[in-house]
Amino acid sequence: MTRYVAQRSIESLIVLAVMSVVVYGLIGLMPGDPIDLMINANPNLTPADAARLKALYGLDLPLYERYWNWLTAALGGDFGYSRLFSRPVLEVLPAYLGRTAILMGASFVLSVAIAIPTGIWAATRPYSRADYVINLLSFAGISVAPFWLALLLIMLFAVGLGWLPAGGMQTVGLDSLADKAAHLVLPVLALTLLSVAGVTRYVRAEMIGVLRQDYVRTARAKGVPERQVVWRHGLRNALIPVVTVLALDFGALFSGALITETVFAYPGMGKLIYDAILGNDFNMALIGLLFATLLTLVGNLLADLAYAKLDPRISYG
Amino acid sequence: MTAPLLALRDVVKHFPAGRAGWFARPATVHAVNGVSLEVGRGETVAVVGESGCGKTTLARLAVSLYAPDAGRVSIDGTDVTGLGAHALKPYRRRVQMIFQDPYGSLNPRLPVSAILAEPLVIHGLGARAERRRRVEEAAQAVALQAGQLDRYPHEFSGGQRQRIAIARALIARPELLVADEPLSALDVSIQVAILDLFRALKRDFGIALLFISHDLAVVDLIADRIAVMYLGHIVETAARADLFRAPAHPYTRALIAAVPAMGHGKRARGGPKSALKGDVPDPIKPPPGCPFHPRCPRAEDLCRRVAPMLDPVAGAGAGHRAACHFRDEVAAMGAP
Amino acid sequence: MAELAAAAPRSLLGLTYRRFRRHRLAVASALLLLVLALAAIAAPLVAAALGVDAETVNLLGRFQAPSLAHPLGTDELGRDVLVRLLYGGRVSLIVGVAAALASAVIGTAVGLVAGYYGGRLDAILMRVTDSVITLPVLPLLIVLAALDLGKLGLPEALTQSQQISLYRIVAIIALVGWTRVARLVRGATLSMREREFVLAAQAQGASALRIMGVHILPNVVSPIIVSTTLSVGGIILFESILSFLGLGIQPPLPSWGNMLTGAQELIWDAPQLVVYPGLLIFATVIAFNFLGDGLQDALDPRAAR
Repeated sequence: MTRYVAQRSIESLIVLAVMSVVVYGLIGLMPGDPIDLMINANPNLTPADAARLKALYGLDLPLYERYWNWLTAALGGDFGYSRLFSRPVLEVLPAYLGRTAILMGASFVLSVAIAIPTGIWAATRPYSRADYVINLLSFAGISVAPFWLALLLIMLFAVGLGWLPAGGMQTVGLDSLADKAAHLVLPVLALTLLSVAGVTRYVRAEMIGVLRQDYVRTARAKGVPERQVVWRHGLRNALIPVVTVLALDFGALFSGALITETVFAYPGMGKLIYDAILGNDFNMALIGLLFATLLTLVGNLLADLAYAKLDPRISYG
Repeated sequence: MTAPLLALRDVVKHFPAGRAGWFARPATVHAVNGVSLEVGRGETVAVVGESGCGKTTLARLAVSLYAPDAGRVSIDGTDVTGLGAHALKPYRRRVQMIFQDPYGSLNPRLPVSAILAEPLVIHGLGARAERRRRVEEAAQAVALQAGQLDRYPHEFSGGQRQRIAIARALIARPELLVADEPLSALDVSIQVAILDLFRALKRDFGIALLFISHDLAVVDLIADRIAVMYLGHIVETAARADLFRAPAHPYTRALIAAVPAMGHGKRARGGPKSALKGDVPDPIKPPPGCPFHPRCPRAEDLCRRVAPMLDPVAGAGAGHRAACHFRDEVAAMGAP
Repeated sequence: MAELAAAAPRSLLGLTYRRFRRHRLAVASALLLLVLALAAIAAPLVAAALGVDAETVNLLGRFQAPSLAHPLGTDELGRDVLVRLLYGGRVSLIVGVAAALASAVIGTAVGLVAGYYGGRLDAILMRVTDSVITLPVLPLLIVLAALDLGKLGLPEALTQSQQISLYRIVAIIALVGWTRVARLVRGATLSMREREFVLAAQAQGASALRIMGVHILPNVVSPIIVSTTLSVGGIILFESILSFLGLGIQPPLPSWGNMLTGAQELIWDAPQLVVYPGLLIFATVIAFNFLGDGLQDALDPRAAR
């Protein structure tokens, strides 16, 4: 098992490395002179420094050389300066990371808490009226444009009803937890609604499949109470692919967060990446993208590991 | 002496079985272990054996669907072992295969006319009109009506599909047909008709036939020579009459005895029960020495240690060979 | 005897069609999509009938209420909303279908080759496929959409053309969207490869290309169709997201997504303008999802739902 973990981790690192090369190369294809912009992001740059950096990263150098120079610097903790913030990337990053973590974390917990019971409940009454409604709602949830849903929520709760703020992280001048929480409600709601639909659908489908199995029918025939049948026999086995999907969903969750943050002007990682790319802040964009890649890779790794751990039929190593 | 049409020399084929772990060596299925076989022009050679003995693998080696792990395959004197696809192509035309499952051997998405025309297309034989003519000709040779040519395989019965498969095999005018259990998936009444078809093809076109089967009764009706296969080895080979009159290997005797109506001319009812004990061993772990010794009623200590060679039987017909230490004795016992 | 003959169509196509017809939602979706497609095709006709076009700015006529001249009113730049919606529909449908087809072609090719040849080629291709799957799609699409195409060596006539944003978005979506079909086709090819009619073709000396194209491909077409149909909805969503972010279809070319760019301000002035494009996106995507679902049940009724 540890061998498998090691193997998968190495594979993930390789993908991350390849992705870093690809993104670094793509940055070089941005309009204008991206390298120049990256170097000049530092407001305290001296002409001597500029020349030195240009010699290391300039577009006239072959890709592998530029990349290598960047990589060695990055591994040493030097991610360059952010053009938009005029501060080192490493200084700016953590706060944004934290805020996105809150957003994603809250949505994840909420959507799982809603989706799993709903999916199970629907699966125990397949093709009933309630199940039909749930199914329809799930279909709707995965078909709606995420940014539109966010806009509708703003229209309803912020403009129409005036209950909640329309965007941002906090009201200017205030520094209260309650105020920050109020600003979080709509973004979290939007992200949750989007995730819930997909997960519910999946849970329902898996549970229906599992409940159809012979061993479940046997348990029922033996007189095991229905609740135990569902929970002990059905859920354990349905959860395996669900866990996999949840972990694989990290990437989609991050993309959803990106859109939600942009619509609500919530200062998180997603919006940061977007602003960075549009604002020609390539040092930031590069690191942001690699972070997003790392997140999805970790999600995939966790999914594989959880799957390996939970499914007794699979043995590794 | 002209070269035989098909010659397999000491052919070996093993397959990995199951999933290879990172450190575990995968188990191997020893499908074919050093088989030598020849089919002469116009000759019908049958290979008989039970399931798992490797006869399907042998058939596929004969048509170069598999490359042997060791040994040589020659067609009409030319060594074709390991030839690239391009060099192999002209030889493929001369050796064609008929498969066991009439439901699986035809592409369900193609109409029969396209299925039949395919060998012609692949080998570039004839323009469109000529191809159509040959397709109709081939259909006729297997008693299919020309009007049905535009239908799809699922619209035909099992027997008809096998006819289509045979027509497809014949259309490029091969010199050798390799038939892998062509009758096994058909109803008994249809089997007779298809067997007659094979005999007619032999007679009218002089085609050589490598006929794989588990059914000795069928083989008796069509073969010139018979090779008996067990666990990837040929254990006996003889002319048809010789084999049934004086089998020289205990396994052959058991096979013949197990056929209810065996016995030339005599419609014997029942007959001696099979003297075989135990099950067919696993081809992943073949027994040491003679592969048959665990089930052989005559086995001795020698059989456990030394694998017998396929050597001529004393005082028997030409070309009668058996892989048993006691071949002469067994042959002397006569028909079972 | 005549009743027996008319009882059930013998062809596979007929059986499939009848199974599909039983899915009311799928059939309704198919009809809806047909109507949307026709409306989109008719966009120039409607524009001509109203005497407007999708791009002329009229700052004096901003946010007009619906009238005969402008059945759905005008937007923040005085442009007719109905006509822009229709032209936007064109864009979404074209991008959806084109990118889905392109992904299907790439994915099928990769899957066929990987499944047929097996061995190292398969291992490499699947490694690549799995790696692409694990990439974060939206951030990657954003980067690809921001590239300066001139630096890629494309001719200037192309990069400056009106439609370049259209081509670009189809290309980048296809670049990341082929993986699902690839895995599907690889799996199907692996199971097809051992079938006897494939072996028969090999024994006859058919080339690998012939076997993949004539024998394997026609037999794996069903899952490809289902997967491709189901992917169109997601593609339309991606296009609308990118356009919304300002990175997809560039104005003045209208797209349902870019009609909502910066809509946070529109909410106060003209909330209905926020509803229309999103509603159309929703209707189109959900229709494609239902359609794909229905096709799946029709083409492969054994799949457990």
